[in-house]
Amino acid sequence: MDLLYSEQHKAFRQEIREFIAGNLPDDMRQRLRAGGFASKADTELWQRRLNARGWGAPAWPKAFGGAGWDAAEQQIFADECACAPAPPPHIFNITMLGPVLIHFGSDAQREYFLPKLRNADIQVCQGFSEPGSGSDLASLKTRAERTADGYLVNGQKIWTSQAHYSDWIFCLVRTDPGATKPQSGISFILIDLKSPGITVRPIISIDGRHSLNEVFFDNVLVPAENLVGEENKGWDYAKFLLGHERAYIAGIGRSKERVAYAKDLLARLQAEGRPADMLAPWRGRIAMIEADLHALEVTQFRMHGGHADMKLSPMLKARGSEIFQAITDVICRMSGTDALRADTGTLTKSFLYSRAVSIFGGSTEVQKNILSATVLDLR
Amino acid sequence: MNLQLNDVQQQLLDSLTRLLGREYSFEKRQQYVTDDNGHSAETWRTLAELGVLGAAIPEAFGGFGGDAVDEMLVSQALGRCLSLEPYHGTAVMAAAALGAAGSEQQKAKLLPRIAQGDVSVAWAHGEAVPGGVSVQAAAGVEGWCVFGSKPCVIHGAGSDYLVVSAQVPDSGVRLFLVNGHSVGVQRDSYRLIDGTPAADVRFDGAQAELLDGDAGSAVIERVLALGISAACAEMVGAMQGAYALTVDYLKTRKQFGRLIGANQALQHRAVDMLAALEQSRSLSLSLALALAGRNDLATGPEQVHAAKVYIGQTARQVTQEAIQMHGGIGMTEEYAVGHYLRRVLVLDQLHGDTRYHLGCLEGRPRH
Repeated sequence: MDLLYSEQHKAFRQEIREFIAGNLPDDMRQRLRAGGFASKADTELWQRRLNARGWGAPAWPKAFGGAGWDAAEQQIFADECACAPAPPPHIFNITMLGPVLIHFGSDAQREYFLPKLRNADIQVCQGFSEPGSGSDLASLKTRAERTADGYLVNGQKIWTSQAHYSDWIFCLVRTDPGATKPQSGISFILIDLKSPGITVRPIISIDGRHSLNEVFFDNVLVPAENLVGEENKGWDYAKFLLGHERAYIAGIGRSKERVAYAKDLLARLQAEGRPADMLAPWRGRIAMIEADLHALEVTQFRMHGGHADMKLSPMLKARGSEIFQAITDVICRMSGTDALRADTGTLTKSFLYSRAVSIFGGSTEVQKNILSATVLDLR
Repeated sequence: MNLQLNDVQQQLLDSLTRLLGREYSFEKRQQYVTDDNGHSAETWRTLAELGVLGAAIPEAFGGFGGDAVDEMLVSQALGRCLSLEPYHGTAVMAAAALGAAGSEQQKAKLLPRIAQGDVSVAWAHGEAVPGGVSVQAAAGVEGWCVFGSKPCVIHGAGSDYLVVSAQVPDSGVRLFLVNGHSVGVQRDSYRLIDGTPAADVRFDGAQAELLDGDAGSAVIERVLALGISAACAEMVGAMQGAYALTVDYLKTRKQFGRLIGANQALQHRAVDMLAALEQSRSLSLSLALALAGRNDLATGPEQVHAAKVYIGQTARQVTQEAIQMHGGIGMTEEYAVGHYLRRVLVLDQLHGDTRYHLGCLEGRPRH
């Protein structure tokens, strides 16, 4: 029994580290490290550099221009990007939509979209949640009606990250309102955000920043060939898509980067002469968050190696969120009043934004419902 | 990354699980508590026969050449059934102390007997101030003698030998082997809250044999690290036991006309117990692998303190929640679930409590 990396994986990690060190612009790194978001231009630049190296799509098969890496290599890559910190490969383009098109898309869709997704020539966003359908996603109401000219889409999506600068949106829409189960009347469709009848409105979040949007569809005509796979099978594709977040669900690298930041901050405060008694509790707190994170990484290895139940996967999401929030909180508090300034206080803003990670992508409560039903068999 | 048990470990675990399933039901365990020596002599013999006691002892000394990982597996299984056997002091601590500080001759004298279950040894190190040692050793005409007291030595009353830490003039703290029956050893025995036999041991010039192998200054740290790893694994086993009882109870107990496990409030708390258990299991595994020298994720000396604090806290959380979710029955002596909390209280204090190890992580001065 061991937790040793193979020589091959060590060399792989080194290769990725060197690439990131040589290619990630320092200003982007500093911005991310200070708690800022990657901008559209940041994402485009980084995605293109990765793509030029052949790493634009870690999980895609080589035949579609992917890196063809196995799960362990994908995990190492994801963690190294997060630790840098560098943006991950475009989450909606690469991690979500790409695999769906590869498995269920038409030849024409694959041919048109995959190269553009890989090179960030188009950026897509995800249209799943609706005002009345958050955790209960299957109750979604946005309607796509089949007409002679294509699908006529009416309704509203919400919490749509990056919609304000994206080119396309992939949506779950209701194509069969009469289906016996709500899940079975849903389709997966691609919509050009420049289509007439679409309005994107910003939602400013509690951090005062703009990353979220509402997207309104008012008689938007979508060509029938933009349907992905079969009509009314969209729920299956969405479930498939969410399964591809495996390397990111626990956010190990993301939290490791924050732990390293917190330790640097502690060292800086010490060098500035803060009393040892004041710093001791922070040192202990950081160490315990790090232990929690270390445990989660080992839990992830146990699961992926087949030595713990894969049904524990919602636990990776729930605990990963809590750990990220805890370390973000510590950093914000340690920074004191400096972080409170509305103009330069990005660490407080990133703390406020961290409150979202236990809500999006299936809230902690939903994760616990799933664990309770699948692992504990409580109903 | 390979988390597969090897054939020897799998076999060890299978036979141990069968033995404990047969001989260590909660009812039988409660009978052993009332025995004079406070454990099951028969189980102890079988543990030796199965190779459990010698699992981590080098083959050259009659063991199976395993390491901290084998001790983790065994300790977890023993924790789950609330074992009263003197495994920790004898097979973990004494074997580790001899391995780290004993001469070849001292190892040859005791390790094979430990593996065979012929001898029990207690670990007499901790004192009132965690990390502090006040017992003194003095060199006399006939060798070393020790003076002073060690409180709460687990299985200290019936043990054949004690491994005692003592201050040696100009040489710091060293480890000694003391025969439990020799003149100058006074043992005041009692039971701990979980039924474990223990004793306050007073040394009044008792003869002591210095463990005089190649003993570097970090010997005690190393021995304690192995002890903490095993104690953490035992707490994981106790958490597992309390968790399993609780999930079963949620599926059988009815109130207001339905199973209490149908309530989301209880479901989510049971899931929190599961997460705490799995995280603790991972941390315990990582520590054992780090001590065995097979862990690229190892985080250095702090890992030992962090594991003790983390698992100490989660073990409390899980066993207390287990009682709460059982309601009244959880408060009774005759039902097993409360005994897991009692066991955890003892294991939390073993080798330095949560507060002490948190202080180490915080970088506060140690005593």
